[in-house]
Amino acid sequence: MRLFGIETEYGITRDDIPEMDPVVESMELVRAHLASSFERRWDYAGEDPHEDARGFRVSGLQQDREEDEFARRDAHRPFSFHDMKSDLVLPNGARFYNDHTHPEYSTPECRTLRDLVAHDRAGERIVHRAAQRRNRLLGGAYLRLYKNNTDFHGHSYGCHDNYLVPRSISFPALTVGLLPFLVSRQVIAGAGKVGIEAQESGWVPGAYQLSQRADFMETELGVDTMHNRPILNTRDEPHADRRKYRRLHLIIGDANMCEYATALKIGTTRLVLDLIERGALPPLEVEQPVVAIKQVSRDSEMKTVIRLKDGRRVSALELQAHYCEVAHRELAGSDEESDWLLSEWAETLHALSDDRSRLVGKLDWVTKLWLIETFMREERIGWDDPWLASLDLEYHNVNPEQGLYLGLEAEGKAWRLTTEDEIEEALRSGPQDTRGGLRGLCVQRFSEQIQSIQWERIQFRGGLRSQHLNMGDLFDTQEIRRCADIFQQARSPADALAAWDHGKEIET
Amino acid sequence: MIQSLMPERREGPGDPMPKSPGPLEEGGGPRRPETGSPDKDSLLKRMRRVDPKQAERYRQRTGE
Repeated sequence: MRLFGIETEYGITRDDIPEMDPVVESMELVRAHLASSFERRWDYAGEDPHEDARGFRVSGLQQDREEDEFARRDAHRPFSFHDMKSDLVLPNGARFYNDHTHPEYSTPECRTLRDLVAHDRAGERIVHRAAQRRNRLLGGAYLRLYKNNTDFHGHSYGCHDNYLVPRSISFPALTVGLLPFLVSRQVIAGAGKVGIEAQESGWVPGAYQLSQRADFMETELGVDTMHNRPILNTRDEPHADRRKYRRLHLIIGDANMCEYATALKIGTTRLVLDLIERGALPPLEVEQPVVAIKQVSRDSEMKTVIRLKDGRRVSALELQAHYCEVAHRELAGSDEESDWLLSEWAETLHALSDDRSRLVGKLDWVTKLWLIETFMREERIGWDDPWLASLDLEYHNVNPEQGLYLGLEAEGKAWRLTTEDEIEEALRSGPQDTRGGLRGLCVQRFSEQIQSIQWERIQFRGGLRSQHLNMGDLFDTQEIRRCADIFQQARSPADALAAWDHGKEIET
Repeated sequence: MIQSLMPERREGPGDPMPKSPGPLEEGGGPRRPETGSPDKDSLLKRMRRVDPKQAERYRQRTGE
């Protein structure tokens, strides 16, 4: 059993004013999704970013002081913290809200890559449609939304991939198994970036990188997410029964436009987690992961050598090939999706070393580089031209009339895993085999009766009896479908909960 | 056996245009791009419409 989901913070800007208020614009963008007025429903009880998976609780995060300063500056505004957040749960089980002045779309929990990619694409559509509504109010097409991770001035925002894993896998085992994989994952999952930057310290043109986020990785492990960012985030916020599960929360990833890159990023990580759970990975430790991740990102020819603690020297491609090979040996034949992944992973690594032009439309960093190099030849400009950073930015524009990637896709040059029908379905409802679909169903049927909602719990209004649906350990597919059937047919949440609780009593 | 999957490396791509995809995408996998030459002109037009100063003006607060 492995569930996954993606949280994407979008960049937001307005063309019609010299200085945009990011708090207001992000809030208004999210609210533009609503047909009625905003009502506070999100329950923050399950969120505590100070809990560390290494077994302790930190007293403060590096971002706290800055957050306090922003809170002080934003205090004069005529709306509350909850108004600013404008947290929504959508009928497809997704969460859509204003996170640190970025509209964030979190997919519902997914069990298959096809569902995940469809929901990630649905997020793009929701953000774009909200921007269209907001633009109608503003009186022009002023608002632009970007599915990227940098503003080219040293400010980064995230695209986090999340995986439900058994608590029985120790965090040290995850660390050892994942660090070399994550250092090298950017060769398939990097979104590409023009120039080099560092946290809040400007931008230098003249280079092309595999990854948008590598510049912002400053330590190997840590609970912080906004400063001193770690390759492997240690936040212990399972959004599930803490005794049984942990949530691997990876903040290193780039926001991908290519469906293929999204599928490979999540899919290969899922395979590596399977290997860690089986204890099948031979120990492999990178000597200086933070240095290595930057060096790998800044070498689009992929010749950089990574030093391992045992003295070996390997390239990022060789590291990936190592993981791919072990996965093939251990996991081939497990299921159809794993077999597809194993085949595509190997084929992609082969193409990267042999003829990467075959990956245009499949991997973002390759596609963006191809577009930029073509443009440079046509316009006779060099890598130091600031126009290139703007092209990089517009590659990620989610407006189909403006975005460079979406233009490529409209021409049929991008590899598609999803159909338009699947994306439309993902806009309407969540995966039927996860609690995400069940959450969405409750929003569809009983929105008015929901008092509060979050990833693992829904509290319904009224009555003296317990009125909440606990989903902290609701991961069995059959149980989910049975619960969904009950909520689909019940006349009220109280009836549904009574039937659900009665069924569980009979089982026990 | 770290290198067994790795073919001999050639220098960077020659023709940056997408080639016809291989057979792997048949069946339940991803769908191949349309065959034929890409209409580079319309994409180039779109790229030329990008304001060269767009990135310079673009400012965000730090996120997660």
